[in-house]
Amino acid sequence: MEIFLQQLTNGLAVGSIYALIALGYTMVYGVLKLINFAHGDLFTIGSYLGLTLLTSLALTGRLGTTAGILCLALMVMGLVALIGALLERTAYRPLRQSPRLSAVVSALGASIFLQNAVMLIYGARFQVYPHDILPKMPVGLFGLYIPLVKVLVLVAALVMMMALYLFIQKTKLGTAIRAAAIDQGAARLMGIDVDRVILIVFLIGPALGGVAGLMVGLLYGQINFTMGWVYGLKAFTAAILGGIGNIPGAMVGGILLGVIEALGAAYLSIAWKDAIAFCVLIGILIVRPTGLLGERVAEKV
Amino acid sequence: MKRTLLMFIVPTALFLLSPLVLNPYWVDVLNNVGLYAILGLSLNLIVGHAGLFNLGHAAFYAVGAYTAAILNTRFHIPVLWLLPLCALSSGLFAAVIARPIIHLRGDYLCIVTIGVGEIVRIALLNNVFGITGGVNGIVGIDRPSIFGIAIRHPHEFFYLIWGFAAITVFFFHRLENSRFGRALNYLREDEVAAEGSGINVAHYKLACFVLGAAWAGMAGDIFAAKMTIISPESFSFWESVLMFTLIILGGSGSIRGVILGAFLIIGLPEVFREFANARLLVFGAAMVVMMIFRTEGILPPRPRTYPNIETAAGEGRP
Amino acid sequence: MNKFLRVTLAFLVVGLVVWGCAKETGPIKIGLMGPMTGPWASEGQEMKQVVDLLAEEVNAKGGVLGRKVEVVSEDDGGDPKTAALAAQKLVTQKVVAVIGTYGSSITEASQNIYNEAKIPQIANGSTAIRLTEKGLKYFFRTCPRDDEQAKVGAQYIQNMGYKKLAILHDNTTYAKGLADEAKGLVEKAGVEIVFFDALTPGEKDYTAILTKMKAANPDAVFFTGYYPEGGLLLNQKKAMNWPVPFIGGDATNNPDLVKIAGAEAAEGFAFLSPPLPKDLPTPEAKAFLESFTKKYGKAPASIYSALAGDAFRVLIAAIQATKSTEADKVGEYLHNQLKDFAGLTGKLSFNAKGDRVGEVYKVYKVNAQGEFILQP
Repeated sequence: MEIFLQQLTNGLAVGSIYALIALGYTMVYGVLKLINFAHGDLFTIGSYLGLTLLTSLALTGRLGTTAGILCLALMVMGLVALIGALLERTAYRPLRQSPRLSAVVSALGASIFLQNAVMLIYGARFQVYPHDILPKMPVGLFGLYIPLVKVLVLVAALVMMMALYLFIQKTKLGTAIRAAAIDQGAARLMGIDVDRVILIVFLIGPALGGVAGLMVGLLYGQINFTMGWVYGLKAFTAAILGGIGNIPGAMVGGILLGVIEALGAAYLSIAWKDAIAFCVLIGILIVRPTGLLGERVAEKV
Repeated sequence: MKRTLLMFIVPTALFLLSPLVLNPYWVDVLNNVGLYAILGLSLNLIVGHAGLFNLGHAAFYAVGAYTAAILNTRFHIPVLWLLPLCALSSGLFAAVIARPIIHLRGDYLCIVTIGVGEIVRIALLNNVFGITGGVNGIVGIDRPSIFGIAIRHPHEFFYLIWGFAAITVFFFHRLENSRFGRALNYLREDEVAAEGSGINVAHYKLACFVLGAAWAGMAGDIFAAKMTIISPESFSFWESVLMFTLIILGGSGSIRGVILGAFLIIGLPEVFREFANARLLVFGAAMVVMMIFRTEGILPPRPRTYPNIETAAGEGRP
Repeated sequence: MNKFLRVTLAFLVVGLVVWGCAKETGPIKIGLMGPMTGPWASEGQEMKQVVDLLAEEVNAKGGVLGRKVEVVSEDDGGDPKTAALAAQKLVTQKVVAVIGTYGSSITEASQNIYNEAKIPQIANGSTAIRLTEKGLKYFFRTCPRDDEQAKVGAQYIQNMGYKKLAILHDNTTYAKGLADEAKGLVEKAGVEIVFFDALTPGEKDYTAILTKMKAANPDAVFFTGYYPEGGLLLNQKKAMNWPVPFIGGDATNNPDLVKIAGAEAAEGFAFLSPPLPKDLPTPEAKAFLESFTKKYGKAPASIYSALAGDAFRVLIAAIQATKSTEADKVGEYLHNQLKDFAGLTGKLSFNAKGDRVGEVYKVYKVNAQGEFILQP
């Protein structure tokens, strides 16, 4: 039982990161029907930018830990959001009217470009975050070991997801985003500036991905330019698992994926854990073809 | 008619004679282009004609390659005789895999195909059933031989691969213009209407998966014979992405487009070797630019034309 | 002399000069194949830096046999298919020998191409045993083999008295090979393997795996994978409060390991490795470290780039000694005449199979300051 709970918490911690990245995927997909393969690389850029800002500005030294990290997070979110908006403008906007698959290939090209750009700018070696930023104490709960930082990450991820959910459901801008996701043409007729909506989506989504990158850097300490590929794929899987286009779905999908991986590794085989996760995914999709929480967008009948 | 024939024959003849003038490196590049052209054409049936979002095609390629490798190294069956067996194993595999997932919509099918690709790769990596050799793969595969002539050098492989490519082109061209091809296009455009017209959508989707997989399996056989060593690394998600990309870049649904796409996807990174470390950076940028400027792909398919139908006087022409 | 004779003489002279030039004064091209892009880009790029630097130094001293040395490098992308193409490209550029590469299955994809073209190949980072079991006349390697490393590892484990061992690899050719070899050897010595599995490289969170390993209660853990994962494992196990000793293979040998794990977590970590350049007393190694740091601003991080440097140096030595760039002569020299060459990584000789001879592996431990200390 103890092992089960321990692995469960391991999975939750990993899953919350997947969930944050998946949110970005799902938001962009909801409005543009585009699988943004470059999202994983925006995540990577977030972690690298975080490192640069952290070391060059010595924020935690000046402002203390909490304020320093918050400030860092905001800066990273802002910068990655800008890069995301720039990406949209150059690689996706010209393809708005084109077949969907063309945009996917453009996204792939953008992903290769960004990944290699990071490699050329920062070098191919692994980069390391300073170790003494976050407190290292574990929290002991029912005999389990959980590092405090992972709890904080999980809490932070949940808070951001709640905030996003409330934003989408309760605010005017959020409603505009939902409208554009359902039908761009009708939204335009209702007076919604769809271009602006898309821009907002490409600011929020990448911002979340970027802050996830920062968290990974702080949590695990080590980053490199290829990590976006693996995380991006997992996050995409999580988004589909929960039902793509659906924000609570991305959250559920991410956490569920993390837990399945951890439990699969613990009870079946570590080497096969990714295959196990995919098998579960396929199984769920066969039973529920639109993901666990279904899709928000109406199907063309 | 004469002019187009000439336009077609002259470049083809030049191309066929090229191994005699090019150095082995460029011939090998052309060999890779050929292999990817065959793979692209097999995936084109699924993605281009039927409009199914398949990002796991490397799995079928792998099944074919490993079938050839295992049967050749254990039972010493000559590689070229294994072609039908590889087609069969890949096709069967596809039939089993596709059956439960065929009804999934667009992007969900995409992630499932990615999942299948990854599961196959991980299974191969972990030496499933003890026959795949794990991470080391399988070594010592024989080179192919036709009527006793062994095929070893790049220029010999050139004729084998492009010969097979020619057969592939012919086959898919006939398929495109058959009932099967038209049915696939119909269900790509509007599934519901197709079903309403009496096309058994599930049956056709499954058939095109199986056919595409079988062809990829044969390509896998040739790949195994060419490399003589295969390992799971060659069948990663990235390979599926490459195949998919070359179809869209070149022009999804058209044979000429797919072949052009193969040239671009294999040729460009080689041409970009000039840029050393920035090789892939330039390639990524080139991909984005190409999609922006020719979103249909560079050589999109021409719309179908039908010969004039004789009409009685006074009836409207279709 | 009459006009005819003068013209003929002129022609003869010109012809001789041209013939002489064409034959003797073109640069000697040495190929370098490595991963300049892809997941192992840091290794490939450093290999290039090392070999370029060494070539510069050789040229500054007048070159070899009166000719300049030119390094032609090609990217193999860390992938067998690209490696085959890179190999073809180097062959057509008429290199006299090739150094490379990193990654056993990538080297394997290029072996036949070089062998058929009669170009000596010296691999610097490919430790799979089977590469030298194929009877390829022109293949050598400056890196040792997995079985040698496993022997030293097994010896160390026995010396330390561990009775229950957990072995963790990452399903790459190198790591799995080493893990399998080690498993065989320690089991024969009576050590129980309580855990044997692979992690997926490229991930960050290994707490699930560590939890599972902890439940198996090993006396020590032998990790045969690479330093990025090694560092993460050390860091995460420390955070879990699990003090089990970790032993690593030579792919964990990299100063970044301590950076990633943190000096506290890395303390006490033992690993197998050929002697680090800083531990070599030879003046060559010291001089080399100095010039590398001067040119590139930091010391080389990877032992494999140093091994590439040694490959280059033995090639130059062979060419100089045999006064020729012909594959058969160079190959014969490397097999038979080269003995105890003073390399950056220690004394170098090759046996009949092309393997590096001699006990190369030592055990290192990380101390409290994060330094690598050679164990006796």
